[in-house]
Amino acid sequence: MQQRISSAAAVLMAFVVACAVAFVGLTALPADAEALDTAKCTARPNADGSSEVKGATETRITWEGQAAEDESIKGITLTLPQGTSFTTKNARITMLSGEDLMQRTNIDASFSQEGDSIVATFDNAAPAGGYFRFEVYEVKFPATGGAMELTGTYELADGDYKEIGEIPAINVVSVDPAEELSSYLGKQEWVQAWNSNKFLHLFLDPTILVTSFPVVVKGFFMALGIVLVAFPCAIPFGLILALMRMSRLRVLRGIATTYVNVVRGTPLFLQIYIAFFGLPLAGMQVPPFPLGVVVLAMNSSAYLCEIFRAGIQSIPKGQFEASRSLGMNGAQTMLFVIIPQTVRRVIPTMTSEFILLYKDTSLLAAVGVMEVVMYAKTIVAATGSITPYIVAACFYLVITLPLAKIVGHLEDHLANKDAGGSKKKKRKKHKAPAPLDPELEGNLAVASESRFGENLRAAEKAIEAKAVSAADSLVEELHAEKEAASAALRGASSLATESGKAE
Amino acid sequence: MNIKKFGVVVLLGALVASFGLFGCSSNNASSDSSDDYTLLNDGVLVVGLSPDYPPFENLEGDELVGFEVELGQAIAEELGLQYENKNLQFDAIIPAVTAGGQVDIGMSGFTVTPERAEQIDFTDTFYIDDQAVAVMKDEGITKDNAADALNQEGVIIAVQSGTTGEVYAQENYPNAVIQPYGNSTDCFAAMQSGQANAVCTNKAVVEKMIKDAYQNAEIVATSATGEEYAIVVSKDNPKLTEAINEALKKLQENGTIDELTAKWF
Repeated sequence: MQQRISSAAAVLMAFVVACAVAFVGLTALPADAEALDTAKCTARPNADGSSEVKGATETRITWEGQAAEDESIKGITLTLPQGTSFTTKNARITMLSGEDLMQRTNIDASFSQEGDSIVATFDNAAPAGGYFRFEVYEVKFPATGGAMELTGTYELADGDYKEIGEIPAINVVSVDPAEELSSYLGKQEWVQAWNSNKFLHLFLDPTILVTSFPVVVKGFFMALGIVLVAFPCAIPFGLILALMRMSRLRVLRGIATTYVNVVRGTPLFLQIYIAFFGLPLAGMQVPPFPLGVVVLAMNSSAYLCEIFRAGIQSIPKGQFEASRSLGMNGAQTMLFVIIPQTVRRVIPTMTSEFILLYKDTSLLAAVGVMEVVMYAKTIVAATGSITPYIVAACFYLVITLPLAKIVGHLEDHLANKDAGGSKKKKRKKHKAPAPLDPELEGNLAVASESRFGENLRAAEKAIEAKAVSAADSLVEELHAEKEAASAALRGASSLATESGKAE
Repeated sequence: MNIKKFGVVVLLGALVASFGLFGCSSNNASSDSSDDYTLLNDGVLVVGLSPDYPPFENLEGDELVGFEVELGQAIAEELGLQYENKNLQFDAIIPAVTAGGQVDIGMSGFTVTPERAEQIDFTDTFYIDDQAVAVMKDEGITKDNAADALNQEGVIIAVQSGTTGEVYAQENYPNAVIQPYGNSTDCFAAMQSGQANAVCTNKAVVEKMIKDAYQNAEIVATSATGEEYAIVVSKDNPKLTEAINEALKKLQENGTIDELTAKWF
């Protein structure tokens, strides 16, 4: 019984105390202003290309606080969470004043480290009511991350110590395995020896290699996503354009020709700029991803149009005539006779076009689409090493090399099939004869001029055109003979140049 | 076929060898004249800059103008060198200075930060700037609500890649999307076209941009970050840093820097 009374009394007492505390707290609120209130406390993001603060990685803490009007401060101490390392090097205190706090006064202070605390002692007591900024460099939070609670005290001119008002916690994310591996590598002797070579350090720094990989891979998926959506969209559009260009109606032909010539006659970079900065001005708000897809698809469709047209026109006229004489109409001829034959012929070139389009996604970096180059760029900017670009290059090669190999196989297959595997010389694609169709030749000339820096594209198209014309040649024996002769000629001349090189 | 492959191998070998030789020769050059600074070309100071940063450096027509351009010319004159500019993307300048071979120095609104100082040497500082955030006037963000309104999910802040403005925005507006662009002109173009809600970069640049081209934008937040501008020099070229520091000192003493500051700001 007695116990119960005492416990009831305790509860009552606790209640009273709580009320009192609350009351004091309430009344003390205005008085609380007589303190150094934290305005903000942040850490500089150190994760490449994001706003995150990582543990075990160098960062800088910026704490800002407003002193009460009658308080003249002589020193500030910030206590960092346990396991945090930092230096007093570069640490500084700045007093901000004036309208919008845009006046800066450097406070001369000495800094010392006491356990987990950094102590700043001002040479002279600062004017009362100052707004202070305290920056601590080379801070490394614990690797485990979490909400980092800082505490602080300050010293008044009269020697009193007081607590700094509550400091908002800094969210720190734990280091990922790549970071850990990187710091582990950084300590290895062979890595240090490796990095002491300037060239290797700039281009193939192992520590940056491992950290940039997981960052750049995000861009890889973005780039792949863009091209995997854009390319299939471009195919039907390109086919329609190709049919329009071959149409008997002058209007359709005119529209398609104009479109193809304009798109192929201007740099993709410019098209991207116009779409990203121009369309929104016209009131069309499109998010970056779909807009990027649309621009690339529209660009690619113009090139695909020419590929399809070359493919369709490479089908011998006899095929048209034969199907018409079987009673098929124009659409049926196209759909059931010509296009199925075309598909096989254009697949290698289309694959090349895919490769080019995939590489062209890098141009979207200029307008802020977070793809491979963009991510690599942000790390290069932060580290000053070119290594992330090398990583980026690998992400392009991962796609382009196998595809290029496939193109090679397809072309071989095509050449063998169409040529009945008879002409070994045909495999030397670079020495294959030029197309005999003058229109096709003209197109190729346009293609080679239309995109500056894209010689490859023109070259690859030329190769396809050559394959196509090679196919033609079988039908027309005469051509084949001519080609064989010219190929032999070219072979001879290239041999000559090779021997010239060797010399 | 085999002969051809062999030829390719030989060619590659030759290429690698020439690279190696080239590397050696450039190293030799720098060690030969250890008592003096080295330059890419004798008598020419090649300055790497990103000419999209008015009033520090920008193109007017095809003429390069700006505070740092004139200061660079003054320094070159002081050193008895010819000033030559090389246009690069901002985030490519420090790598270019570190790697060497492209530029002698970088002078493109570089703020002194300890992080950057690990990669390159800074000269003495010659200008102090702050950060500012600008929005379009019809955005509905004002000076009073900027701190909160900008730190929202869905807000896109355009920054120039590799700048202190980028880091400032990431640190102070962690909830917003920080969208990096190649240069500050693109940042403003992105904001005007609605691709971004705000631009965060150095105050002098924001002010100049608003004054000259984007009258329908306004500054809603500023922070006296006190960023000290300096010239970026390779760590392998400490003598050049010294020489530039001396030139800067002279220009400070004879009032050239004050004159230029008055002219451009």
